[in-house]
Amino acid sequence: MKMNHILKYYISFLSFFIFFQSYSNNLTEIDTLDKFGLRAGIDIHKLFRTISKNNYEGLSLNADLRISKKLFLFFEIGNEKINNESYYLNTTIKGNYIKAGIKNSLSKEIKGIENLIYVGFNFGLSSFEQTITQYIINNSYNAVWGEAIINEQIKLSNLNALWGEISIGAKTKVLKNLFLGIEVQLKTTFTQKNKDGITNLYMPGFNRTYDSSGIGAGFSYTISYLVPIIKK
Amino acid sequence: MIKKSILISLFFLMITSCESDDICPESSQKTPRLIITFYDISNPELRKDVENLAIYRLLNGEMEILNEINGINTDSIAIPIRDDESISNFKFYKNFTPIDNTPNGIDNHIFIDYEINEIFISRACGFINNYNILSFYNYDPSDPSTNQVNWILDYVILNNLVTDENESHIKILH
Repeated sequence: MKMNHILKYYISFLSFFIFFQSYSNNLTEIDTLDKFGLRAGIDIHKLFRTISKNNYEGLSLNADLRISKKLFLFFEIGNEKINNESYYLNTTIKGNYIKAGIKNSLSKEIKGIENLIYVGFNFGLSSFEQTITQYIINNSYNAVWGEAIINEQIKLSNLNALWGEISIGAKTKVLKNLFLGIEVQLKTTFTQKNKDGITNLYMPGFNRTYDSSGIGAGFSYTISYLVPIIKK
Repeated sequence: MIKKSILISLFFLMITSCESDDICPESSQKTPRLIITFYDISNPELRKDVENLAIYRLLNGEMEILNEINGINTDSIAIPIRDDESISNFKFYKNFTPIDNTPNGIDNHIFIDYEINEIFISRACGFINNYNILSFYNYDPSDPSTNQVNWILDYVILNNLVTDENESHIKILH
């Protein structure tokens, strides 16, 4: 059921996105202003998760600044709190992150930044704490004595991580100066600090970690507003 | 443009659909049981079988038999100890013959006091326990009236640290 809802959400968003993109394609031909400016946005995927899931709170604000015909500087700040529940471990992770990087437009038409497809590279830095709120000792022979459920919290604070990520995304204009964006990221951890030999299960900004590698993935949907600074 | 957006959407659907729950692999490090080996009191280097050995665990005044150790002839056993408390109490029976579900035979209390070391394994496996044996008694130290030794005449702690099941931790002489 949960998966169904998520799929519905993706699909409706995508149809919305594609609809507006084709719609605004027609617009572009009329609106040929080549605007330089600061585009400020908010991640609506995180907002949607905050509203729809009771184990997640997150807010992310981002900005990109066009510095040449093809290049944009990118910044993002965010805050996330997530409760992870599995059979053996219940954890809460909360913290802040910043990302900074560069985006390179792949769009052929230089004039129309109304539709933008880009690849980018970002550095991400996260500072967070992980609390193990409850855990069950994994013992194959617990039929003899019963499961040991431990309610003593293990609080691991001052954790951090530095990672790099490649992003691929697209932005499309939906209204004057208002853009809808979607982006996927592939991430790799450079350094991370954990404590007591306990893996960082989730890192704000990086998302879920994987035991076998430092690779991670992420995506975002954003709504952003372009504040025009230079009009040519 | 539409083609590109479809490609991109497929790409991220692929990524997000891989978020399945991890499964704790069978090969991962496990919480070890306590390994006890039985030796001859008159020849302490010689292994000696216990005839019809049965072991009960004692928890809140209730006795429950361990499934695999219910009247077997053996010179070595592996028994799980408590994870929620750092003491475990057992009754070791030899010449065990159950009569109408009541244990019958020669019993001997075993009391083990230990430290618990929790070790984080992974996201899917969580924590396991290792133990450090502090003391081992062949009677019940909490009840002096019954602190008698019946058939477990002596013991040696061979390895205090219980981190695996490869070697014996306790040697019992009978």
